[in-house]
Amino acid sequence: MKPTDGFFCRGIRPASPWGLGRELALIAAALFLLSLVIKVHWMTDFIIFIIFVLSFDLLYGYMGRLSFGHMLYFGTGAYGTALWLVYGGKDPLAALAVGLVAAAALAAVLGLIVMRTHGASFALINMAFNEIGHFVVQSPLAGLTHGEDGLSCSAGKLFGVINFYKDEWAFVVTAATLLAVFALLRVLTSSPYGLLVRSIKENEKRVKFLGFSTFRYKWVTFVIASTVAALAGGMFTLVQGFVSPRVISPFGNVDVIFAVLIGGAGGLYGALIGGMVFMLIKNFLPVMIPELSKLLNVKLPQWEMWLGIVLLIVVFSVRKGIVGTIRAQWQARRPSGSPT
Amino acid sequence: MPASSGAGVTRTPRCAEKVRLMTELIAARGLTKRFDSLAAVHEVDFRVNAGQTSGIIGPNGSGKTTLFNLLSGYFTPTAGVISFQGRDITQAPPHARVALGIARTFQLVSVFTSLTVWENLVLANLRFQPGETSPGRFFFRTARRARILAECAKALEWVGLADQAGAGVDELSYGDKRMLEIGIVASLKPRLLLLDEPLAGLSDHEIGRVVDMIQGIRKRVTVVIIEHKISKIVDLVERLSVMNEGRLICEGSPDDVLCNPQVRECYWGKEGEAC
Repeated sequence: MKPTDGFFCRGIRPASPWGLGRELALIAAALFLLSLVIKVHWMTDFIIFIIFVLSFDLLYGYMGRLSFGHMLYFGTGAYGTALWLVYGGKDPLAALAVGLVAAAALAAVLGLIVMRTHGASFALINMAFNEIGHFVVQSPLAGLTHGEDGLSCSAGKLFGVINFYKDEWAFVVTAATLLAVFALLRVLTSSPYGLLVRSIKENEKRVKFLGFSTFRYKWVTFVIASTVAALAGGMFTLVQGFVSPRVISPFGNVDVIFAVLIGGAGGLYGALIGGMVFMLIKNFLPVMIPELSKLLNVKLPQWEMWLGIVLLIVVFSVRKGIVGTIRAQWQARRPSGSPT
Repeated sequence: MPASSGAGVTRTPRCAEKVRLMTELIAARGLTKRFDSLAAVHEVDFRVNAGQTSGIIGPNGSGKTTLFNLLSGYFTPTAGVISFQGRDITQAPPHARVALGIARTFQLVSVFTSLTVWENLVLANLRFQPGETSPGRFFFRTARRARILAECAKALEWVGLADQAGAGVDELSYGDKRMLEIGIVASLKPRLLLLDEPLAGLSDHEIGRVVDMIQGIRKRVTVVIIEHKISKIVDLVERLSVMNEGRLICEGSPDDVLCNPQVRECYWGKEGEAC
């Protein structure tokens, strides 16, 4: 095989319109099939969470920066959208745009600080900012946000037809958003930029000595990941019609980290599968456990404990997550150096 | 070439001085790097002329790698000035120095083991291609363009890994990784290449291949090689510098340097045979 033949790299897949189209069709079909067995309004929740997980995967999975404060941007998107709907206007697109711009601006400023740190300090400084955001929403801005009571809002119809408060429409719009986000991230991560980001994850020093100003690209990645998180937050507001400080609570970071670890970091599909599996655990176990307890006539522990056990299994024996493990198995069956 | 600026010349350059500035590629003056009380590099004056292949030898801990770290921008010096082609680069960050044409390898091979061989070469090959790092291309297109593929194919051929393009770098031998690393830095189209112990840890066969690669590069690029064992690079370099305890103790043609009593003492002790 000549090197110019092409298909011999793990990361740079051909981002041809055909290849991408096939991937999107597959995801759309999977979402549709799932919506036949899972309640549609649950699916909408799941999809919003998966968009959030995808944004986290860019930051953590691809660039290797573990943040304990990603909820800040989900919450900024959610609150930005809600505040516009309450005090600005009813147009959902304008409201979403306000949420996105607010989060992008916040990430652009904070990114200048947080992206100068790495490792534990990066994780914790993000958590600190997240705590501040959580506090600001609860207290100083309580006049606007109604603090702990939360804020109800309602959006007008999108393009005059799409009503966010009809479950089917909400599902369709969030699913379309997920596909758009996936396409964007697929294109970004299969570009030279994606390669650069993965290189930074492994050895930032080496990347500097290839002549790249790594800080600039780390900052851009942070802003993109935060803006996509805000998109998930904005969609949450549009669909729920209600936001409370819960949407910006640092506790939410645990969910997204669990989801990425379960699915497998750094491959987008890991985020899709991990987000789905996490939401299934989170939503079905609390329902199933009391029933099972009754059936077996023993008192089973709360669902959080089972989630903890799943995570322990992931951390100790399935370290690459579901998707990473499957991919490794698949690659192990192929002779080394062959096209993948 | 900016011959008159920034080279620290206070008097009017005479003819010989002008010639010196014309040929001088990198120059360090009074370079010192302290770590707490230890001076890893102490008042070193070091310069390399364009087109010249030089070697730096010295015992372990003599400051060779620290000198490279200062020249390449990994450390900023405690004191002293570094100029490249007459420009003061003392404070320039590593990526800016690479853009000027200073590339380096590391004592322990530094390649991306989580990527494939081909992917390792892509970033280096497109970094200084005009237009390739524009946002539209860099963020939104794949690197699968004919021009990049051709450049990478050439580099792959040169490092002798053409049949392992799709292999993960973690599957390569140490020697192959070293060759890949040299291929990466050569792809940056440098003017000055700093090789930090490129032959360390290689088998005799691999040493032969790496020496051949260096022979190839030095026709186009000014090369400085750090090496622990003198014998391996004597035939490769035109000029040899010896470091000991952070100081540059001797400089000159390899033959002269190896006959220098001070050098013989630091390498072979007082009983070192006369030249």
